[in-house]
Amino acid sequence: MRRLEHIGLLALPGLTFLAVIFALPLFMLLLKSFQIDGQFSLEEYRLFFTDEYNMSVLWRTLRVAALTTIVALLIAYPTAIAMSRANGIWLSIFLVAMVLPMSVGVVVKAFAWSIIFRTRGVLNDILMSLGIVDTPIRMLFTETALIIGAANVFLPFMVLPIYAVLRQMDTRLPEAAASLGATPVFRFFNVTLPLSLPGVVAGCAFVFSLAVSMYVIPSLIVGERQQTLSMLTARSFLYLRNEALGATISSILLIIAISVVLGSSWLANRLGARS
Amino acid sequence: MQGSAGTEPDKRAYLDVVGVGKAFKGTTVMSDMDFRVARGELVSLLGPSGCGKTTLLRIIAGLTSADAGDILLDGRAITRVPAHRRNISVVFQSYALFPHLTVAENVAFGLRARSVPKGDIAPKVSEALQLVRMRDFADRPVAALSGGQQQRVAVARALVVDPVLLLLDEPFSALDRKLRETMQVELKSLLRDRGMTAIFVTHDQEEAMGVSDRIAVMNSGQIEQFATPSELYARPRSSFVMDFVGLSTRMRGRVSKTDGPVMQIDTANGMVLAQGDYGVGTEVTVGVRPELITPVAGENTIKVTLADAMVLGAKTQLHGASHPEDRLLCEVPGIQTNLTRGQDVTFGWSVKDTLVYEAPR
Repeated sequence: MRRLEHIGLLALPGLTFLAVIFALPLFMLLLKSFQIDGQFSLEEYRLFFTDEYNMSVLWRTLRVAALTTIVALLIAYPTAIAMSRANGIWLSIFLVAMVLPMSVGVVVKAFAWSIIFRTRGVLNDILMSLGIVDTPIRMLFTETALIIGAANVFLPFMVLPIYAVLRQMDTRLPEAAASLGATPVFRFFNVTLPLSLPGVVAGCAFVFSLAVSMYVIPSLIVGERQQTLSMLTARSFLYLRNEALGATISSILLIIAISVVLGSSWLANRLGARS
Repeated sequence: MQGSAGTEPDKRAYLDVVGVGKAFKGTTVMSDMDFRVARGELVSLLGPSGCGKTTLLRIIAGLTSADAGDILLDGRAITRVPAHRRNISVVFQSYALFPHLTVAENVAFGLRARSVPKGDIAPKVSEALQLVRMRDFADRPVAALSGGQQQRVAVARALVVDPVLLLLDEPFSALDRKLRETMQVELKSLLRDRGMTAIFVTHDQEEAMGVSDRIAVMNSGQIEQFATPSELYARPRSSFVMDFVGLSTRMRGRVSKTDGPVMQIDTANGMVLAQGDYGVGTEVTVGVRPELITPVAGENTIKVTLADAMVLGAKTQLHGASHPEDRLLCEVPGIQTNLTRGQDVTFGWSVKDTLVYEAPR
C-alpha cells in the first residue's frame, strides 16, 4: 500500500504543470465571471442569459455541435464497421486515411471546404455542369456548410473509438445470431449496435466537445455573420475588451464540456456494467 | 465415395454434403467432400486442428460459403440459403452468449428473431431453461455464469428454436475433465430424447466415441473413415485413423514373404505375421491394440525389454523399449506390481488382430 502511494508521487510533476499552466488560469477566469468591480455577483450571467442575441448564439452553438455529432456518427459508424472487418493493406489504408488528415492543420482543412462551397466553387461547378442546378447555390456562410465541414474535420474522433470497440467484439456473436435466425438488420440492432454503444458514446462525447468549442472552422466557413460561443468569446476579449463577458461565456462553455464528459462517462460505465 | 463408408444403404440421407470444396487464399482446405448423416443421428467430425472439420461445420451452418458442391437438407438444396434461413443452430466453442443480455434474454433471442408472438416466448424460454436445469438463473447476466452453466445456456438457446439440425463446435473443450464427462452424458441423452440430428466437431477421440453414433475421422480436408466408434477402433482403415483413435503398438516393417492371405513382416523386434495382400518388399506399418496383446507367447510373439510399467488402476500399461518411431504398448487388466523397468517380457497376440498399412512414401 505504501509503495503504491510513493509511486503516486511520480504524477506530481505532471499535476503541478497542469495546475499552474491550466487549472489556475481557468480558475481565475471563472472568478472573473463572478466579479463586478471586485464584488461577487451573478450579474454577468443574468445579463448573458437575458440577452436575446447571446441566447441565439448559445442555441446555435449547441445545435451545430449536436448536428455535427449526428452527421459524424452517421458517416463514422459504417466506416468503423468496414474498418473492423478489414485486414492487411486495407486496414492500413483506412487507418492512414483516418490519422493522416489530423496532421493537416485545421485552418487548411477549413479553407479547403470554403473552396469547395464557394459560389463559384468546385461543388457548384460540378452541380451546374451536370445540369442539376442552373444557378450556383449559396453554400458557404450557411450552417449546413459549417456542419458538413466540422463533421469532416472531427470524423476521426468518432471513427476511432467505435472502430476500437467493434474490433474487440467477438465475431462469433453476429454468427451465433445468424444461426438463431436473425436477419442482418435484426443482428445489427440487437447485437452489433448495443455492444458498440460504449464506443458510440465516447465518439459522440469527443466530437460534441470539439464542435461546441470550435473556433477556426466557423470563422472560415460561416464568418462573422453567424456567431458561435467561442467566436463570441474571442470577440469579447479581442475587440470588445469586455473581459467579464468573455470570462462568462468561457465558463458556460466549460460547464457544457464538463457535463458532456461526466454524462458520457456515466453512460459508458452503465453500458459497460451491463456487458 | 470414402465419405459414405459405414452407411447402410437403406439409411436415407437427411443431411447430404455432395462434392464440397473450399479454398482460403489459394490454399485448398477441402475438395470433393462427401458426407451423409441420417435423421436423428449423432455424428462427430474428429481430427487434428487444421484438418478442415470446423470449415465443414461452418459450411453446413452457412457461416462460410462453399466454393464447389452442394448441401442438401431433407432433400432440399440449401447451398445458397443464408445462415439465418437454414434453421440450423450452432453451439460455439466459446458459447458466444450475448454479453449484454441476461440468461433468459439470450435464450429468447432466436424466438424474437423469428417474430414468435411475445406471449409464447416466456413459456418456451422457461421450458428450455428447465431442460438444461438453468431456470433459477434466468435473470442473471451471462458473465456471472461458470463455464458449465454458460454451455447449458448455449444449448438451451440453440434448442429453443427447434432447429432441423444442431451443430456443436468443440462444445466441451472449455470445461474441466470431470464436468466435461458429466455434460457429455447429459447432452447426449437430451439430444436422444428429442430425436435431434447433431454434428459435433472435436479433436478429442474419447469425446467423439462417447457422444456419437458414428465418427468421421478427418485428415487434411479428407474423411479418412466414417464408421461407428467400435468399427473405427477395431478396424481403422489407415494408420492415421489407428493412431488418432485410441492407442496402439506400432512398428515399421517390410513384407519379406507372402503365403496365401498371410504375410510375413520383418520388424526391428522380429518377424510378425499378418493378414493382407501387400507384395514382398512393401514398406508397412504394423499395429496392434494394446489390450489385445498379452504378456505371454501367442501366434505373434516378440521379446520386449520393459521401459516402464504404469499402474493406471483398472489396468496396467507396459511400455517396451523401442526405436523412437516405433511404439511397444501392452495393457493388462488389474494392478501388476511384479513387472518392473528393465525386465524382459513377451508380447503375444493373434494374427487376425494385426493391422497392416502400407507406409507412406
